[in-house]
Amino acid sequence: MALPTILDRGTAERVRRDLKGSRDLSGTLFRTVLQLGLLLTVVILAVLLGQVLSLGWGTVSGRLGDFLTAESRSRAAEAGVFQGLRGTLWIAIIVTIVAFPLGIAAAVYLEEYAPKTRLTNFIELNIRNLAGVPSVVYGILAYTIFVTVLEPVTGGKTALSGALAVAVLVLPVVIITSAEAIRAVPSSLREAGFGVGATRWEVTRSHVLPYAAPGILTGTLLSLGRALGEAAPLILVGAIPGSVGYSGGLLNPAQLHEQFTAMPIVIASWSTNAREGFDRATAAAIIVLLVVVLMANATAIIMRNRFEKKR
Amino acid sequence: MTDITIVDHPALTIGDLRGSRKRLARERRVKLFLMGAAMTSVLISVLIVVSLVTEAGRFLSSADLGSLWTSGWFPREGFFDIKTLVVATLMVTGIAIVVAFPIGFASAVYLAEYASARSRRIIKPVLETLAGIPSVVLGFFALTWISPNVVQRLNPDAPLSNLFAAGLGVAILTIPLVASVSEDAMSSVPNALREASAGLGARRMTTSLRIVVPAAVSGLVAAAILAISRAIGETMVVLIAGGADQAQFTASPFQPSLTMTAAMASLAGGSDAVVGQGNAYQSLFFVGFLLFLITLGLNVAATRIVRRVRQKY
Amino acid sequence: MTTKRRAGFAASFLALTIVAGACGGDDAADDATTTSAAAAEGTDSAGGSGAAEKLSGKINISGSSTVEPISQRVKELFNDEQGDVEITVAGPGTGDGFKVFCAGETDISDASRPIKDEEAEACKASGVEYVELKVAYDGMTVVTSPKNTAVECLSLNDLYALIGPESEGFDNWSDAQALATELGSTTKFPDAPLSITAPGAESGTYDSFLELAIDPIAGDRVEAGKLTEDKEGTIRKDYNPSADDNVIVKNIEGTATSLGWVGFAFAEEQGDKIGEIAVDAGDGCVDASAETISDGSYPLARPLFIYVNTKKAAESHALVGYVDYYLEAGYEAVSEVGYVALPDSELAETVAAWKAVTG
Repeated sequence: MALPTILDRGTAERVRRDLKGSRDLSGTLFRTVLQLGLLLTVVILAVLLGQVLSLGWGTVSGRLGDFLTAESRSRAAEAGVFQGLRGTLWIAIIVTIVAFPLGIAAAVYLEEYAPKTRLTNFIELNIRNLAGVPSVVYGILAYTIFVTVLEPVTGGKTALSGALAVAVLVLPVVIITSAEAIRAVPSSLREAGFGVGATRWEVTRSHVLPYAAPGILTGTLLSLGRALGEAAPLILVGAIPGSVGYSGGLLNPAQLHEQFTAMPIVIASWSTNAREGFDRATAAAIIVLLVVVLMANATAIIMRNRFEKKR
Repeated sequence: MTDITIVDHPALTIGDLRGSRKRLARERRVKLFLMGAAMTSVLISVLIVVSLVTEAGRFLSSADLGSLWTSGWFPREGFFDIKTLVVATLMVTGIAIVVAFPIGFASAVYLAEYASARSRRIIKPVLETLAGIPSVVLGFFALTWISPNVVQRLNPDAPLSNLFAAGLGVAILTIPLVASVSEDAMSSVPNALREASAGLGARRMTTSLRIVVPAAVSGLVAAAILAISRAIGETMVVLIAGGADQAQFTASPFQPSLTMTAAMASLAGGSDAVVGQGNAYQSLFFVGFLLFLITLGLNVAATRIVRRVRQKY
Repeated sequence: MTTKRRAGFAASFLALTIVAGACGGDDAADDATTTSAAAAEGTDSAGGSGAAEKLSGKINISGSSTVEPISQRVKELFNDEQGDVEITVAGPGTGDGFKVFCAGETDISDASRPIKDEEAEACKASGVEYVELKVAYDGMTVVTSPKNTAVECLSLNDLYALIGPESEGFDNWSDAQALATELGSTTKFPDAPLSITAPGAESGTYDSFLELAIDPIAGDRVEAGKLTEDKEGTIRKDYNPSADDNVIVKNIEGTATSLGWVGFAFAEEQGDKIGEIAVDAGDGCVDASAETISDGSYPLARPLFIYVNTKKAAESHALVGYVDYYLEAGYEAVSEVGYVALPDSELAETVAAWKAVTG
C-alpha cells in the first residue's frame, strides 16, 4: 500500500543538497529575481491603490452620502456620481437578466447536450475567439445592431443599448467559465440520474446544475466585475461624458430608453478634467467603482476558495 | 423528488422509462432553447463580421486610397494615415510586453515552482485583484502617476500625455494575464518530470528552466500571444494617457499619439460625433476591421497552441 | 417541488416587474405632460423665469466644449429651482453639436462660432428651425508652461510663424525665427524645444484661432506666392490636437517650453498652473482680461452662442423656462465659470431676439 516516500519534496531536497555539496549561489539569485518580479506586482498594486486612496479619501470620508447622490456638477467640490451609478446599475441588471441565463444555457448545451460534431467544435472555437475580441469592437457591433438596426426597440443611444453591448461582451466569458464548472461535475452524478430514468434535462436541472452552481456563480460574478468596469463599448454606443438628465425614480424602466452615462465613463471624462479639484473627485469616483467591482471579484474568489476546499 | 409514484403503476414498462409524451416534448423544447443559446454566439460573430465588413467596405469605396498613407491621422480633415495608428499600437504593445513579460513570467515561475501553499494563497488574490481593476482606473493612474513619476523622469522633455505612459499602463493590465496563463501551463506539467530531475540531483532552478519551462513552452507562448492581443485591444488606458484624438505620424513613444483602439473611441467621442455621413465616422469601422483581423489571428494562433499542449499531457 | 420552485421564481420576477412599474408610473410620458400643459396654459409663461410654474420635461443640450460649462452651470442653478426638468449636457465640440442639432436630436446647441452655411443647410433640409442667441464673450489665451519665462508677448506674425501652415517641422522655437523675422517680427525666440498642444479641428476654438490669428496672414502669404492655396485655412499638422481643453491645459502645464491656446475661461481657472502670453496685433502687447475682451482691444476674442430649436421651444415649457433662466436669473453663470458677460446693450439684443421667438 504505502509507496516509498523517497520522492517527497523534503527528501529530494536533502538528496539534492547532499549531491551538490556546496551552496547554490545562482539558484538563490534566480529565486530572488523571481521574488522581485512578484514583489514588483505587489508594489504596483500598492502604489496604484495608494495614489487613488490618498487623492480620493478626503472626498469619500468627507461627503460620501453627498458624493453618491449628487449629479455631475461643474464644481468638483459639489460633483457626485449619481448619474454614473444609475447607468452602472442598469448595466448590472441587464447583464444579469440577459448574459447570465443565455451564457449558462449555452454552456449547458455545449457540455451536456451537444454531440461531438464539427459544428459543436466550431461553436466552441468561435466562443473562444469571441472572448478575445477587443471591447471596442463590441462597441461597433452594438452601434450598428442595437443603436441603428434595433432602434425601434432600444431607442438608439440609450442605457438599454449600452447595457446590451456589455451583456454581449461578457457572454463568451460567462459561457467559458460556466462550461468549465459544468465539466468539473463528476459523470457518476449524471449516470445515477439516467439510471433511475430521468431525462437529460431532469438530470441537468436537479443534479448537474446544483453541483456546478458555485463554480458557475464564481464565473458570473467575475464577469459582472468586468462588465461594470468596461468603458470602451459604451463610448461607441454614445454614453454621455457629461451630465445626463434621467427620469426620476430609482429603477424606473423609462431610464432604459434614455441617454445614459456610467461609472467608467464618468471616471474617464473627469480624469482629463483639469479644473480645480477634479483629480480628487476622479479618485473618489474610482474608489466607488473599485469597491463595487472588487466586491464582486472578492465574493467570487472567496466562494471559489471555499468551494475548492470542499472538494 | 418526494413524489415517487411507481407504486401506483401496475407494472413498469420500458415506456415508463422513456417517459411520457409530455416529458419528451418538454425535453425537446429545453434542448431547442439551449441550442439556441449556444447559437447566439455564432450569431454574434456573424453580426460582428457583417457590420465591420459592410461599413469598412463603404469607407474604402468612398475614401481616396491615397489618404490612407499620409502625414498623420486627421480623420476630420480626410487624412487617414493608417501607419500612424499601427506604429503607435506597436509602440504601446511593445512597451507593455517588454515590461509585462518578465514580471509576469517571473511571477508565474515562482508561483508554480517555488511558492508554498501559504504564499500562493496571498499572492494569487493580489494578481486577481490587479486583473479586476478596470482599465479606466489604469488610464487615470498612467496619466496622473506613471507619466510624471516615471516617464518624465526618463525623458524630461516628454509632455504629460504620451504613449510611453500608456504602454506602462497597459503593461500593468497584462501582467496578471501573463502570470495566470503561464502559471496554469507550468502547473499542468506532470510532477514526475520534476521528481525525475530532482532525483538526478538537479537544482530547482535547473529543473524550472531546463525541464518545466521547455515542457510548458507552448502554454507560455500562448500566454504571450494572449497578452499581446489584449494589449493591442486595450482602449481606455491609451485614450486617457495617450492624450490625442488625432496626431501627426510619430515614431517616438514620448509623444502623445493614438492607437487603433483609441482612434476609434475618439471618433465616437461621446454621443454626438458618431452621427453623420462623413468619411470620418466610417473610418472607425475600417480601423475596427483591421483590429479585429489582427486580434483574431493572434487568438486563433493562441488557441491552436493551447490545444496542442492539452494533447501532450 | 419543482413546480413550487418555478412558481417562486415567477412570483419574484413578477414582483420585480411590479416594483419597477410602480417606480416608473408617475414619470412616464414626461414630454406628453409638458405638451398638454403648454397647450392648456397658452402664452402666460413666456415672460419671467417661470418661478411660479412647476415645469417638467427633458432638455437635451450638446455642442461646444467651451460653452458647455455655462450651460452646465445654468442647468445646475435652474435645477435648484426646477428639479423636475431633466437636462442632459454634453460637449463634444461645436461641429459635432450642430450635426446632432440639425438632425433634430438636441434642443439646444452650444457653439463657439456662428453656424456655418453647410450646417445651416443641413438644418434646413431636416426641417429644424432655430434662433441664434449670443450669450457671452470668450478670449483665446495663448498659453505656455509657467516655467517658460523666455516668452512674454507674441505678435500675430509670431503665432503664424510658430503655428501656421509654414511651420511644419519646427520642433524648436528658434526654427521659426527666420520666418517670423521675414514677416516683420522683432521677437527673439528662445532656443528650446517647441511642443504645441491645442484644440483639434472639430473644435470651435480651433476654427476661431485659425480665423483670428492665422488666416489673415495666410491670405497675404498666398497672394505673395509664398504659400500654396491648398494650405490656406490650415495650421501645421504636427502638433498635439485634443478636443478637450482640459487635456490641453494638462499638457501645457506638464511640458517645459510648451505653446498652445485655450479658451480664456480655462486659462483663468488654471491660475499659476499655466503661463499666459500677451498678444500684439500691431497696437502693443495686450493681456487677455475681461476688460480687454469686452472692449474689443484683445485681438483673439470671439462671441459664444447657444442655438435653440424653435419648434421644440414652442412645444416645451421646460425648454422655454430654461432659456429664459439662462438669460435672466442664471446669467451670472457666465462670469461665474470665467467668461466675459455681454455688455448690457448686447444682452438686451439677445433677450429681444429670444422674446421674438417666444412671443
